[in-house]
Amino acid sequence: MFPSSLVVVLTGLGFGLLALAAFAWGWRRGQYRDLSAQARVIFDARDMRLDRPWETAQQRAERAREFGALEPAPPGEWGEGRSSDEGSAR
Amino acid sequence: MTRAWLLMLGALAAVGFATLILVVVPALMLVDVPRPPQLRPYTLQQARGRAVYIANGCIYCHSQQVRDPAFTTDVDRGWGSRASVPADFVYDRPHLVGTMRTGPDLLNVGQRLPDANWQLIHLYQPRSVVPWSIMPSFPFLFEVRDSSALPRGARMVNVTGRHAPPRGKVVVASADAVALVEYLLSLERDYPVPRVAGRSVAAGGRTVHTMP
Amino acid sequence: MTVTRGRPLRGEPEELDIRLRADASSRRPVLLAFGSAIVWLLIGSAFGDVASLKMHLPDWANDAAWLTFGRIRPAHLNTMIYGWASLAMLGVSLWMIPRLVHTELRFGRLAEVGIVLWNIGLVLGIAGLLSGRSDGLEWLEMRRTFADPWFVVGGALVGLTLLVTLMLREVGHLYVSVWYIMASYLWFPVIFIVGNWPTWRGVESAATNWFYAHNALGLWLTAINLGAAYYFIPKVLGRPIHSYQLSLLGFWALAFFYALNGMHHLIGGPVPEWMITTSIVASVLMVIPVLAVAVNHHMTMIGRFGALRYSPTLRFVVLGAIAYTAVSLQGMLTALREVNRITHFTQWTIAHSHVGVYAFVTFVLFGSMYYIMPRLVRREWPSARLIRWHFWLVLSGIAIYVISLTIVGVMQGLALLDPQTPFRRAVEVTIPGLWVRSFAGLLLTAGHLVFATHYWMMTRGTRRAPESPPFHEVRPILYAPAGEIVEEVAR
Repeated sequence: MFPSSLVVVLTGLGFGLLALAAFAWGWRRGQYRDLSAQARVIFDARDMRLDRPWETAQQRAERAREFGALEPAPPGEWGEGRSSDEGSAR
Repeated sequence: MTRAWLLMLGALAAVGFATLILVVVPALMLVDVPRPPQLRPYTLQQARGRAVYIANGCIYCHSQQVRDPAFTTDVDRGWGSRASVPADFVYDRPHLVGTMRTGPDLLNVGQRLPDANWQLIHLYQPRSVVPWSIMPSFPFLFEVRDSSALPRGARMVNVTGRHAPPRGKVVVASADAVALVEYLLSLERDYPVPRVAGRSVAAGGRTVHTMP
Repeated sequence: MTVTRGRPLRGEPEELDIRLRADASSRRPVLLAFGSAIVWLLIGSAFGDVASLKMHLPDWANDAAWLTFGRIRPAHLNTMIYGWASLAMLGVSLWMIPRLVHTELRFGRLAEVGIVLWNIGLVLGIAGLLSGRSDGLEWLEMRRTFADPWFVVGGALVGLTLLVTLMLREVGHLYVSVWYIMASYLWFPVIFIVGNWPTWRGVESAATNWFYAHNALGLWLTAINLGAAYYFIPKVLGRPIHSYQLSLLGFWALAFFYALNGMHHLIGGPVPEWMITTSIVASVLMVIPVLAVAVNHHMTMIGRFGALRYSPTLRFVVLGAIAYTAVSLQGMLTALREVNRITHFTQWTIAHSHVGVYAFVTFVLFGSMYYIMPRLVRREWPSARLIRWHFWLVLSGIAIYVISLTIVGVMQGLALLDPQTPFRRAVEVTIPGLWVRSFAGLLLTAGHLVFATHYWMMTRGTRRAPESPPFHEVRPILYAPAGEIVEEVAR
């Protein structure tokens, strides 16, 4: 059914082995170590210390415990716009 | 991960693998699809008509494929007597199999509606022959001219009823409209499935069911 | 840069500085990309409204050839995919990569040129479509001769800029969003060239057509927007993504399975059975990366859904991510032959595609732009009210759109399935849905006009908030609630 099926199978296997080899190489070189640290590269200290209005008291306390005293977020930090009326919308 | 090139390599391997399976292999296989003796390549007029079909987006409402009667009811609906096979599309570049059936399937419309006059009227104003149709009308493929001032060989279209042109005028089909209808009339893929010894490629690797 | 309140901020000045520099370096190309994307969004919305109306008003405005449904409809699709979505994604990539690799964007001018070239390709391609010049392949209609090369070159310039920036980076670790973004710049040219290759004919042509179109969805539109979701959700929440291991698995599973899905658009068609079966299997296997993303996002959000009330970024991105899960599960379902025999060829497909390209892709892009713009123009969005209007208009619009077409699509499919039911019935049953869809489309267009107006206000500074500092000052003064003065910190 397949023309030159051996070639096709070998090429397919070749791709698969290439992918596997890349993964294994990466594993050995420590690419996948310390993944939780990798998850945190997008933050800096200040991100974590911003006071988020939606957090519960407990969540805020946890945050302050881990990262230090919370700071108020500048206006527009969360992508919100200016409210011309009440300030509590923020 | 820190190695950008590792990432790129992996990504390329993934798309390369898929290209191999879904593009390269089929290309190698389908090289052998036989040209059915009953199917002629498109004539110049039909090819021009096919180009008009493409230019005006007929594909967005019409499909050109008859599905297996063991799977669904295309055949029962009268859109063909058998499932379409790769061989039916050998001369189609690009394919026009379509993905919508706002309108009926057209693979065998040349067999089902072989009257060129009907086709022209229907193109000019679908609702004059099919009142419930939502197909757009194509007035720009036609001209309404004075019946006294027609050029030689003008293809007149006999539109009657409330869509008829005013007295003294007649609807004349443009060359594009005539070509398009020629293309539509060429759409007949009901000959027996061509057999190629030892291969099921002609039938796309399936058993082709036909109407008893 | 000092803070007058007690506690020293560890490592702050350098980190804030690089953010400011990264944003400054990407500012021009990103604004160019976003601005042009929004123009195409409006044009595409107009095309969409016209196309929708024409389906239930088939005699409306047919005298001019360029307005015929068969030209407006592909003009709508191509404008939205390659105009709105792709340009917005180019902008999001150009902003995110420098931020993620803590490096200024290199050769930003080259990226600007790339964006201009892309726009030229669009003008030529769309004008071509309206004048009847189409390559005839769905998702690839724009002419490969005079339109496509602009996208290849323009996209390559942007990709190159990102690649160089990546190579010259200061950080070691590449966050998962970087993988999604960089991989998609590799994937897109490959599939685009394969799909546009002029020699395919017959069923090969059909197979490569849908190989391309599905991968444009999965390896271009989805990939970059998943990358954005993986960044903005944790960033706004201030919580790392729940399981980084899961995001690894999700990325590679997406890469390997998604690319094999394409033939599920051709179920029942004349394509060899084994190819269709491969795609159905791959479609079902997609449950792995889709669930990985869903679990990750949900577990990261859990206990913090209140944030959706405060942050439009989160609102749009989270709803978008939920839509991604929904459209993927929907897709898996409809890839099964038994379901497909009802849904194929019907309005259900249209509803499904809009869950993907609108409720997922477009929502994530809206959310991304709400986050990015204040950091580029150094001021907040002028009006919370306009954001609210935008959100509710487009949310109600897409909900009505999807629900109406899904319902009539299934009814249409069932009618088509029964050979005793005349074809007429399959048409008539969709009409009410088509009217409702036109209404929904108008809601969406209204939402886009609100957004475009707000964007314009944002970039023109017509509504200058009295207490906000003039934007050209690098270190404006903010007032903290307790009345203390702190110096500007980068967002």
